[in-house]
Amino acid sequence: MKKLLQEREAFLAIAIVLICIAASIAWPGVFPTFDNLSQVLLNLSIDAIVAVGMMLLLISGSFDLSVGSVVAFSGGITAYLLYYCGMYPLPAVLIGMSAAALVGFINGYLVAKAGINPMIQTLAMMGIIRGAALMISGSGIQNLPADFNVLGQSNFLGLQSPVWVMLLVVFSFDFLVSKNIFFRRYYYIGNNEKAAMLSGIKVQKLKITGFILASLLAGLAGILLASRLGASLGTSGKGMELRVITAAILGGASLSGGEGRIMGALLGTIFMAVISNIMIIARVSGYWQEMVLGLILILAVWIDIVLKDPRGLSLKARFTKLKTS
Amino acid sequence: MIEQQTDISIEVRNITKTFPGVKALSDVNLSVAKGTVHALCGENGAGKSTLMKILTGNYQPDGGRIFINGKETVIKSQKHARDLGIGIVYQERSLVKNLSVAENIFTGNEPRNQLGFIKYRELFAKATVLLKKLNININPQVKVATLSPGLQQMVEIAKALSQQPRVLILDEPTASITETETKILFEIILQLKKQGTAIIYISHRMTEIFKICDVVSILKDGCYQGTYQCEEITIDDVIKKMVGREMKQIDVTSFIQNETAIEVRNASGNGFSNISFSARKGEIIGITGLVGAGRTELVRAIFGADELASGEVYLNGAAVSINHPSQAIKNGIAYLPEERKEQGLFMDMGIADNIISGNLSAVAKHNLLNKKLIKTAANSYVRQLAIKTPSVSTKVANLSGGNQQKVVLARWLALNPTVFIVDEPTHGVDIGAKYEIYQLLQNLAKTGSTIILISSELPEVLALSDRILLMYKGTITGCIPRLLASEELIMEYASGLKKDSAQMQQVA
Amino acid sequence: MNLKRYIQPALLYSVALLPLVFSGCDESRVVDKSQKKESVMVNSDEEYVMVTTAINFPMYVNHDQAAFKRWGNEHGVKTSILGPSDWDVAAQISTIEQVIGSKPAGLLINGTDPGIAQVINKAVDAGIPTVVYDADIPNARYHAFLGTDWYEIGRLQGEAMAKLLNGKGKVAYLGILGMTNMDDGYRGLQDVFKKYPQITIVGRYDDKANVEEAAHITSDLLRAHPDLAGICGFDGMSGPGIGLAIREANKAGKVKVTAVDWEPEHLQMVKAGIIDHLVGQKRELFTWYGAQFLFDMKHKINTLTADDEKAGIVAVPHKVNTGLIEINKDNIDQFLKN
Repeated sequence: MKKLLQEREAFLAIAIVLICIAASIAWPGVFPTFDNLSQVLLNLSIDAIVAVGMMLLLISGSFDLSVGSVVAFSGGITAYLLYYCGMYPLPAVLIGMSAAALVGFINGYLVAKAGINPMIQTLAMMGIIRGAALMISGSGIQNLPADFNVLGQSNFLGLQSPVWVMLLVVFSFDFLVSKNIFFRRYYYIGNNEKAAMLSGIKVQKLKITGFILASLLAGLAGILLASRLGASLGTSGKGMELRVITAAILGGASLSGGEGRIMGALLGTIFMAVISNIMIIARVSGYWQEMVLGLILILAVWIDIVLKDPRGLSLKARFTKLKTS
Repeated sequence: MIEQQTDISIEVRNITKTFPGVKALSDVNLSVAKGTVHALCGENGAGKSTLMKILTGNYQPDGGRIFINGKETVIKSQKHARDLGIGIVYQERSLVKNLSVAENIFTGNEPRNQLGFIKYRELFAKATVLLKKLNININPQVKVATLSPGLQQMVEIAKALSQQPRVLILDEPTASITETETKILFEIILQLKKQGTAIIYISHRMTEIFKICDVVSILKDGCYQGTYQCEEITIDDVIKKMVGREMKQIDVTSFIQNETAIEVRNASGNGFSNISFSARKGEIIGITGLVGAGRTELVRAIFGADELASGEVYLNGAAVSINHPSQAIKNGIAYLPEERKEQGLFMDMGIADNIISGNLSAVAKHNLLNKKLIKTAANSYVRQLAIKTPSVSTKVANLSGGNQQKVVLARWLALNPTVFIVDEPTHGVDIGAKYEIYQLLQNLAKTGSTIILISSELPEVLALSDRILLMYKGTITGCIPRLLASEELIMEYASGLKKDSAQMQQVA
Repeated sequence: MNLKRYIQPALLYSVALLPLVFSGCDESRVVDKSQKKESVMVNSDEEYVMVTTAINFPMYVNHDQAAFKRWGNEHGVKTSILGPSDWDVAAQISTIEQVIGSKPAGLLINGTDPGIAQVINKAVDAGIPTVVYDADIPNARYHAFLGTDWYEIGRLQGEAMAKLLNGKGKVAYLGILGMTNMDDGYRGLQDVFKKYPQITIVGRYDDKANVEEAAHITSDLLRAHPDLAGICGFDGMSGPGIGLAIREANKAGKVKVTAVDWEPEHLQMVKAGIIDHLVGQKRELFTWYGAQFLFDMKHKINTLTADDEKAGIVAVPHKVNTGLIEINKDNIDQFLKN
């Protein structure tokens, strides 16, 4: 049992199932309906795509606070090109994605080569890109062309396209990161950067690639969001960075790096989305939601520390130790 | 041996301490009298630091007793040790660079007013008095960061003395300071001695010990070797007692082949300059010198981990350009770094993950990791190197030092290196594993690999190397073939007393 | 670290506070919030949901949400207020989407951004009575909209300013750039000033709905234009920010100020003679009547045909302009007494 609980993914999956069962009993006509659950999936799909990139960065021991801004930025650029320049969807999307990739490259280059702390670098970038996004989309760009909206609004087997894109992203990255030798190196970097470098791993190059991928995924999420809403909002993705980091850490990542799996990012996002869905159904106010998620995060990480304690101390033993020290 | 019961300030009897896989101290005795300077000698890993950490309350001994002023005492914590009057100046700096000298000296017991604010005027006044008493000419208001390493060392000492300790431990106090500063330090020591402070002086520098110390105690592999008055013993005897373990006879046949494997010409970089040497296939070449001689810096640059400012590296006669370890690895060079935990291992990953980390493609098909290949590779090295572990997925952090080092070795052996640079390969490794590692390096040489061995442990260098290069302050000062080598000769070169002419060095 | 050192005093304090908490409360002091006046038979489980963004923004809490709750109490129905605590339109949209699934009796939506049009239509298509308030959302098929005319807000400010300046002088504009409603307001202002050729606008400045930013811009303006005669503020934070800078520069009364909204800090500044004229919205009416429309639709209070739904008729007003409030030194006392 303890071993099972040590696997964060299993732990989370069990928790999600239990919570869903409880919610189905409490709100039988509201929670366990296909409408509600597919809505939850649709809403979490954007976050989950961004969380995949964040998980990759967290595995390598870094993180990106600018992803939320990139969501607004890439969506804004794409919408601008579609609406004001009358561009076809494909080139507009490609340009939006390249803009996101460029942001990632700048982040990665300055973190890996110039040695700027990722916290400072991406915090600065978060402000810069948010400003750029507001400049481009102003009060928002509405009435995007239908051939663009198809991307985020079409249905397949009852689920809207962002859900399918999200599943594709999650499963392909999960496969790559756990098997592919290129992606596998992120674990080594996250675990011990110096040792990774001395083992012949091109740490700087991989870090830059990591930031580009995280930004690209945020860009994809931003474009999907714009397409799904049929509009780009300057404020979209605000606060997303912390939400996504929270999800990834719930899903087993650690800020010190070297830990976590892509599937964990999805589970963390699902967990948060289910909690927030239940709170909306229960009509709990917005600020309560943030408090509850904060508490859950602390609890999850704490449980993890206790379960993984090499000394094998129980919770009680830790307390007594704390007291005597 | 001396028998002196009166005026003993601190005494330990039959102290034992075991770490997973290593017996750091076994049955160690030491008694330090008031008003004496007591040297503690021993090789790296002999247990000096562990003993000092027990005296300062960082570690609890597994067995044995400690007496302070004749009273049996259990030293519970660092704070307790301080309260008991035991002060220490660590080898590593413990100063906060952005605070003033005075704040550093009185860290934790600054004079305060009722509201808890520091009374700076009083703080600076107290610091001035203390520094004047010690004859140290530093303004207590300047930031520590602006001082030279030597002066910082003085601040460390002042910090320890601010508690007015009855026992002062100095751990390699002269390692990073100049000669003039050393003189000032010695004056302070003499002054403290007059005041009746008991001083434990740890150093590798024999000449210093014989200049300043009254008594010398020797540790070897965690065992107590005796205590002697300095007048009664010679440097040679001390060294002999320090290193004179019964070396298991290592086969001294050398496997040198004719072709040159690696040649370094006029290499300069951060910490070393104008280095030239070459090594042949199957040769084990030792590089030794004091800490800070530039050995590690040199090999890191050869391996591409640091920048090589100028100079060339030739492998099998062809010039190679190496800017990153990945290029070095491609060219068949491997490097076992000095600090195993910080630079060699992925502590929270499994043994298998560590072993394959140097060459993931070898255990992959179509760029996808293959579990079966990983397992086979890992298991074969675990068997080959006799790594003691329940499974190949065990976290490296849970292994003993010797087994951890074997994991790092396995990673590099998996690459079949033609040139294998090993930096302090047996640091913090127990005796048993040590010999296994020696055997391994020799077997590798037998197959034609060149081994560059960096080590501070002279017996190790002497036993393994076909030739020994001596480094002093970033340059090569000599090259001794195995037949002529002795510890005394090495020490003379390493301490800068002896230096070969440039022509002589060409032999290298 | 010695945890005990912190735990003990913390516990002591908490224990000491407990009696205060209990003794400090008196049942008779609790304001009776449930004065029900039953007119139409309603099910107390009937729930009306308001979804906004920046849910704890004081103006929303004090006006929109307070009136909505009061309405709910008077009618004996459940009211819920949901939405993100930050200004996050995407989160507002996703909240609406999830609320639709639980089929409330009515949905009252703060028209924060034109981007919410789609989700409004989704709610309408799901058969939920849906009313939008504050800013009109183009292309949204809501059942009703209640709001104000921002062009009119601009026009009223312009007229007031022109009168204060006797038709001549330099005027600056502060607000959020790129917001449709504020752009409308600016047009209103411009159209008034066209009649007064001696009034010139020195520039439009973005204070990002931030008091500090507005104060900053104002003090810079005062230095750059010593002859600045008036400043018009268009977002909720413009007034307090401009007022702060004017007071610090001792220019109260010398530089005329007109602004929007009537939060306590705005009113105090009018009283102090720092702000000369306020144009305010009747936000309480947005949500009170918005909720009432929802209620009327749900209970078919007015039916115009045999079956309005089949006939495709909505029996509540489609667009309501709740009108504006003008506040100056003549009527300020009535607002402060409130």
